[in-house]
Amino acid sequence: MNPSAHAAETATVIAQTVQQTASANSHTELMTLLVLQLAFIIICARLGGFLFQRFLKLPSVLGELVAGMIIGPYALGAKLPLPGIGPLFATQTIGLPVSSELYAIATIASIILLFLSGLATDLRVFMRYSVIGFLVGLGGLLVSFVLGDFCAIWFGMAPSFMDPAALFLGTISTATSVGITARILTEKHKMSSPEGVTILAGAVIDDVLGIIVLAVVVGMTKVIHAGGTMNWGHVGIVALKALGFWIICTALGLLLARQLTGVLKRFGSPEVIVSISLGLALMLAGVSEMAGLAMIIGAYIMGLSLSRTDVVQELQNSLQGVYDMFVPVFFCVMGMMVDFSAMRKALLFGLVYSLLAIFAKIAGCGIPAYLTKFNFRGALRIGLGMLPRGEVALIVAGIGLSTQCIGQDLFGVAILMTMITTLMAPPLLVKSFHGPAGLRHSVPEAEEKEEVFSVEFASPDIADFLMQRLVRAFQHEEFFVNRLQMEAESYQVRKDDISFTLSREGGQIHVSVPPDQQHIARFMIYEELLSLSDLLEASKNMKSLNAMGSELIGNLF
Amino acid sequence: MNLKKLLMKDSILPELKADTKKGVIEEMVSGMAFAGKLTGKTAAIQAVLAREEKMSTGMQNGIAIPHGKTNAVDQLVVAVGIHPGGVDFDSMDGKPAHIFIMTLSPENRAGPHIQFLAEISKVLSRPGLRERLLSAANADEILNLLTT
Repeated sequence: MNPSAHAAETATVIAQTVQQTASANSHTELMTLLVLQLAFIIICARLGGFLFQRFLKLPSVLGELVAGMIIGPYALGAKLPLPGIGPLFATQTIGLPVSSELYAIATIASIILLFLSGLATDLRVFMRYSVIGFLVGLGGLLVSFVLGDFCAIWFGMAPSFMDPAALFLGTISTATSVGITARILTEKHKMSSPEGVTILAGAVIDDVLGIIVLAVVVGMTKVIHAGGTMNWGHVGIVALKALGFWIICTALGLLLARQLTGVLKRFGSPEVIVSISLGLALMLAGVSEMAGLAMIIGAYIMGLSLSRTDVVQELQNSLQGVYDMFVPVFFCVMGMMVDFSAMRKALLFGLVYSLLAIFAKIAGCGIPAYLTKFNFRGALRIGLGMLPRGEVALIVAGIGLSTQCIGQDLFGVAILMTMITTLMAPPLLVKSFHGPAGLRHSVPEAEEKEEVFSVEFASPDIADFLMQRLVRAFQHEEFFVNRLQMEAESYQVRKDDISFTLSREGGQIHVSVPPDQQHIARFMIYEELLSLSDLLEASKNMKSLNAMGSELIGNLF
Repeated sequence: MNLKKLLMKDSILPELKADTKKGVIEEMVSGMAFAGKLTGKTAAIQAVLAREEKMSTGMQNGIAIPHGKTNAVDQLVVAVGIHPGGVDFDSMDGKPAHIFIMTLSPENRAGPHIQFLAEISKVLSRPGLRERLLSAANADEILNLLTT
């Protein structure tokens, strides 16, 4: 090799090395910034949620959103300098107000959130109250969508009903977040009231239809962004595609979920089941996006499919920690994306949009309830119960912002509406439940399918001991046993179609079980009683307590 | 639970000969051993008898479900026996037992063992089934009655 060629090669190698080192340095810098941002977000979101819940008695999600607004790039974030790096949350010049890395974490959080929402969907309640639930859910959805969309046109935010911005504002207004209502109804012991179950069934329909509407809207906006125009023929095709994807995936999911979990259970490890299930949720989320729909649709379908299997409680319990860590980050990042100056311009629009969102649910859900079996009071309770918008509205708004279908101003409006409806629902709902029944005529209580039998023991300690042995015995029989978040020590026992509850109160163990599943519950308790008597018999053969005591403690002094 | 997977024709004894509790248990365990499902007959008999000593598995309406845990089996093994004349099995209702469902399960292995007993008991509580089992002519008919 001649000297000049050698020199040129050396120079190339040096240039590549310098470039790689610079790239590695910039990666390290990027990751350092991301880690610091995440640290700040996790701490502030958690503290915000805690302060709102503890001192203002408001849902923690509001605290997380407000924390995001305070630390975001449009407020303190831009003014917090990091030595050698720059502002903690610098305003991004292109695209979203937060970095792609941070938005990616929020997207994963939204997938986890919707996967868990799907898992928590009670299809049995929905089936039992499907007719009235369908009417309530559909009424609320239609009125919310139409009013939300028209509101954008009235205020000149969008030129026509089919404009992506108008469609997004309609969609943002539809999705009820029933979590807050469910918490209030549980606290007031009204969850199993006719209004309570109607709200829950309505919320399932609302979720399902809302996700389908989102699928259609995302599909339509993608066509528009690709330079196409939307006429009703195109809308029909997009709607059919979205519905087709939804129906095929949900039907396949519900049909194959048992077989899938059956295969997963062969690993004999709950960790494997949970990890693979979450992996599949992420996979279906990706497939959903590839099919031209939103990622949360796939995640929700995966959750819904697994909601009727015996591993659902295991998944919920195991993913609770991931949820607790990620979901506040999602709400906080959504809060960070609020640009106050852009929002100020649309403040009047935001207030009217929020008022219409409130009216839409009260009228849209209340009227079908009134026309079926509820009186005015009952219909109002149902309308108020369906009022809070939450995570889905924010996710849809985030999708709208990231696809540039809505601007900073309308994103701020969506956050404002979410906050107002979430703030207003709890006090109004609590107040509405004071007073007489909400049914127009006294309707006989829904047939209670479960029977309760109890076994009494000589002391709470013995009952507690037997309860622990029962839990182990059921696990040994390959049942999934999960502790429920209730005051009394309660467990849900599930395997395939079998599902019942064990609970202990003092010296009594109660079993709440459908009549056709009593055999297994009674046999297990019977066998455990026998092993308990064995144990008591064996304890008589132990060395004297004095001898054991002196062996254990005798040499300590 | 799929009972068809666990109930096998070669472990169905349509006409038990023994006329004592211990005799029925021995005869059924022998039937399992003859079908090649056990590694130690004596250990299996002892396991079932030990369980019976704690509390009889003679239930009501002529049904008994003797069972035990033993390492003479490496998975759940089931035998069904019918004794048309009935045997005193210290049943809860004091009546003789006619229909016997015996299960043996490994000592320290997890599995749906009690669940099987519960499921088969549920099947046996169907009205009219007990009478049809008692008048069944052969193992095929018994298997058919229990699994359809």
